[in-house]
Amino acid sequence: MTDTTERTFTLPDLGEGLVEATVLEWLAAPGDEIARNAPLVELETTKSAVEIPSPHGGTVARLHAAEGDVVQVGEPLVTFVVEAPAGGAGAQSGIVGRVPAEEEPPRRRVRLRPPQE
Amino acid sequence: MEQVFSAGVPIRCAVEGDPAAADGAPPVLLLHGFGSNQEMNWVRTGWPAALEGRATIAPDLRGHGGSGKPYEDDAYTPERIADDVVHVLDAVGAKRVDVVGYSMGSRNAWELALRHPARVRRLVLAGFGPKDPFAGADLHALERDGSPFGKLYRVAGTLPGNDLDAMAACARGQASRPFTPEPVPDAPILFAAGERDTVAEDVEELAERCGAEVVRVPDRDHVTAVSARALKEAVLDFLAVEEPAGSSGS
Repeated sequence: MTDTTERTFTLPDLGEGLVEATVLEWLAAPGDEIARNAPLVELETTKSAVEIPSPHGGTVARLHAAEGDVVQVGEPLVTFVVEAPAGGAGAQSGIVGRVPAEEEPPRRRVRLRPPQE
Repeated sequence: MEQVFSAGVPIRCAVEGDPAAADGAPPVLLLHGFGSNQEMNWVRTGWPAALEGRATIAPDLRGHGGSGKPYEDDAYTPERIADDVVHVLDAVGAKRVDVVGYSMGSRNAWELALRHPARVRRLVLAGFGPKDPFAGADLHALERDGSPFGKLYRVAGTLPGNDLDAMAACARGQASRPFTPEPVPDAPILFAAGERDTVAEDVEELAERCGAEVVRVPDRDHVTAVSARALKEAVLDFLAVEEPAGSSGS
């Protein structure tokens, strides 16, 4: 059995000194499997349009804003269900000494050298 | 990529894949709009992912992004910008490309296809129409101009790295050669724009004169059409069409 955990992605700072953005179009829906870096959502700022890639690979659980909604930087955009890191620390994973969930293992299996002391 | 120098103006250019490869589909040349740059117009809007598998060449046009910013109006005529692009294509070894322009990039893509027909296989003119984009603007007093272009100029002027004086010179240089719908480039053309894009007003008439299709993206305007999935899909379909046998490499 695979442990899963939820991860909520909040509106990142898009630069340009902007504090909010409008949701133009969701490119994934609840229940969709999404790969990390796959197109997730299109946003409009006062100056430009941007496409935000998915920060996680997993399943889209919930969208927190509808198309046309204005979202402030730091407010939740979407929640994913992702596989918990190996070792099964569950909801507490990622707190101490863990590779952040964003750092998915590469698809190709390669032998990684342990970090140098 | 390293910079390319054209007529003394350094042109910074992002290159993905191998634009000199002789097999497969030609590279895609991406020409951004006024007051933008290749990063903002194409990268942040998700075009590299959409074009995955194609080599891409995306310069910052002179006066924009990381490229040189001369202050002379006549440094910015469409022929000068087309010359820059040819320098870039030569430098990266791209003999023939598919071109995707947005807004002012489309105006200059048209110029490129007219002046250098052998370099252009297909032409996508997005966020573009036959109307004068500078209509009603006082291009010598843009800092207080109330026309739609004046407003666009001031918004673009707040973006990091933009130089208002160079942008004004660029506007005057472009305006000195108004767009005319004749002659029409030989390359097959696709027009594409947001349904509410006022810059692309009457593009249907222009398309009819060119014997070309128009794709309109519902509910999108000049700013928001560029990232739309529907726009990308239409462009990819148009660029994926195989050439008739025997017409390649001409």
